[in-house]
Amino acid sequence: MGAISERFEAMPHRLASSKARQRVNMIVFLGPAILLTLAFFVLPVIVDVVISFTDMGRSLRINEFTFKQYEKVFVGDRRLASVITLTFVYAFLTLAIFNVTFGLILALLTTAIPKVSGGFFRGVWLLPRMSPSVLYILLWVWVIRPSDSGLLNQVLKQIFGVKEVVDLLTTAPLALIVVSNGFIGASMGMIIFTSAIRGIPEHLFHAARVDGAGSLSIVRHITLPALRWPISFITIYQTLSLLVSFEYILLLTKGGPFFDTTVLALYIYRRAFQSGQYAYGAALALFLIILGVVVAMLGWKFLDMKTLLQKPRIEVN
Amino acid sequence: MQRFTATAKSALIAATGLAALTSIGALSAPAFAEVVENVELVTYTLWARQDISGPLRAGNVVKAAGLLNEALAEEGSNRRVQVVVQESPAAGFDDDALQLLRVFGIGEGPDLFIQSHTWICAFEKEGFVANLEDLIQANDWAFGTIFPTLWESTKCGGDRYAIPQDAEARMFFYNKKLMREAGISEEDIESLPARVLAGEVTLDGLSDIAKQVVDNTSAEYGILHRPSVGPDYIMVFNSYGNSFSDPETGSLLLEPEKLEAAFGWFERNVQIGVTPANNTAMEWGDIREAFYTRDNAAFWMYGIWDLASQAFPIYGLPKEEEAFFKDWGWTAVPPVVAGGTASSLTHPIVYAMSSEVQDKDLAIRLLGFASDADLNTDHAVTTAHLAIRSEQLDDPRYQAAWPVARATELLDITQYLPNNAGFADLNRVIYTALQGVETGSLSAAEAAQFVVDEAEVQLDDVIVR
Repeated sequence: MGAISERFEAMPHRLASSKARQRVNMIVFLGPAILLTLAFFVLPVIVDVVISFTDMGRSLRINEFTFKQYEKVFVGDRRLASVITLTFVYAFLTLAIFNVTFGLILALLTTAIPKVSGGFFRGVWLLPRMSPSVLYILLWVWVIRPSDSGLLNQVLKQIFGVKEVVDLLTTAPLALIVVSNGFIGASMGMIIFTSAIRGIPEHLFHAARVDGAGSLSIVRHITLPALRWPISFITIYQTLSLLVSFEYILLLTKGGPFFDTTVLALYIYRRAFQSGQYAYGAALALFLIILGVVVAMLGWKFLDMKTLLQKPRIEVN
Repeated sequence: MQRFTATAKSALIAATGLAALTSIGALSAPAFAEVVENVELVTYTLWARQDISGPLRAGNVVKAAGLLNEALAEEGSNRRVQVVVQESPAAGFDDDALQLLRVFGIGEGPDLFIQSHTWICAFEKEGFVANLEDLIQANDWAFGTIFPTLWESTKCGGDRYAIPQDAEARMFFYNKKLMREAGISEEDIESLPARVLAGEVTLDGLSDIAKQVVDNTSAEYGILHRPSVGPDYIMVFNSYGNSFSDPETGSLLLEPEKLEAAFGWFERNVQIGVTPANNTAMEWGDIREAFYTRDNAAFWMYGIWDLASQAFPIYGLPKEEEAFFKDWGWTAVPPVVAGGTASSLTHPIVYAMSSEVQDKDLAIRLLGFASDADLNTDHAVTTAHLAIRSEQLDDPRYQAAWPVARATELLDITQYLPNNAGFADLNRVIYTALQGVETGSLSAAEAAQFVVDEAEVQLDDVIVR
């Protein structure tokens, strides 16, 4: 009895020390992540907001706090509407053609063939993603170069006898940035979709075969329903990614000709770093952040992510 | 005079006159003015863009430190000067200026810097550059014979804030072989520069010649221009009456009708197949190759220094005057209407001094020696830039360097870009509009309106008339 009462007396101490240990563990395990999040995500947004309310120009000096950058965003900048439209057209085309559709086709094809071959082809499609951005775009620049030394023009000239030099940078700049970005974006969807397809219980495919289902029916009635969550995830994730990334476009077309390939993120870069309008660039960047949040929330609602993220009621083994 | 970090900056040390100091280890000292055994060593940092078309811009300041040290020794002064060059890898002077403005903005600016004259007033507006008016007047021995017109390019609000380092001539180079092949008479080919100067050939006339070449030879291109932001195409805008500067207020001036007329010339050139729609997307190398080596372009709108830095050493054009002019030539920019005045454009590079420099009298002497006729001629003849002083014209080396000697005549009709803090931004807008016109995204009228709209959003000091 004495020993039991001692244990009961010691419990509050243990509970206290357990809570203290939990706090220490939280700091040890989450602390670095929280610090990094604050330093690289929260702080830049705060800095951006502050700069956007200043007149910071080419010399990085702040002379006054002002709303004039937002006046430019909403009233003065006549180019902005067309840039935003182009951004959504670019994001939609890249997403619809490559990041989701082509990624899905690659996943379906590479899981339908023997594992080694499938792995090889997936590896090939991952190469652009693994290459440095500059190297990848340098290859594109060489391919589309509007002269006899460009690969495309050499092929057209030597094999198809085309005499006129083809200049995709001038004639089809939007298609060019969609394809060059899409080749990289497709690999992300391919990986996610492949793992999702691999996660579908195999007996479902065998049962469908026994029931006489063809390949397309199996894809339509078994594979695609199981990919609803990954497709929704890829759609939202890649939309946000396409809204903010511009490095491939900058390297390939510099946003031109004229503003034909200047998406919003690149437009912000051009305003801030090519013209030295840092405060205006910050205001535009904040506008982009808000745009991204709105797009993400709309995607969350219309793709019903909440339902998809619920815990399954029945575990299939 | 800033502290400098040896690992972060490439340094060129003035050797002449500093041997004794080297032996006592003074060169490794980073302090601005260090007294070592009664010798006070003053270090000046010099910001210069890496540029193959002008390595001696910085090199001459380094050499000048030697000359100044000799003079100081003769005077019995215990002061000595050394120059540390900070090289910027910027692709062009606009990028370089933006970078330098940021460097000044965070308090790390150099003591001396080399810039395009168009940016000087941007530095003046921010208070980064010293007013040199009194110093220049007090040092007539060094600056007295610099061409008066060149000083205009260094002024902001009437005072001089920089010292001209060089000048150049911009023109239309042309390929005589293609013109002969197109059926143009030898007499017309040879007399083209004179007829342009006499106002007999207009800009549209030049386009007609280019069209003749494209139609009657295998050449693809009639007229090519630079594929990046820069001063050359502004010559055409000048010809159409765009000065971009209001003489009364000094503000940037936009005249939409004149802008539209100038854009119209580029638009017509694309429409008649003289200029390719993708000129602004072409690589520099492809353009030069088309003009210099492949006989694939009739005209190339650029500047005289291209002969020394590219055409002779890289593309193999003949260096001898007679051989060059047998198949090549150049002409000023024709007027818009017959009887008008031909023009050229010069874009001087200048030496400037930070407003933070403590001993400006010593620094201006350093820049005075750097502007020495001999040193400047070294730069002029090796890079095909024009002289800044009258006495250089008589230098046998200058006379032997026929490209600069021949191009100097264009200084009589040369024009300058406006010295306005916002002009570089405006020029970027003009180039973007030009790209829009040539690729068919904008008509000439829309391009003029685009320039006005963008300028009103981006710039504070614009008059639209």
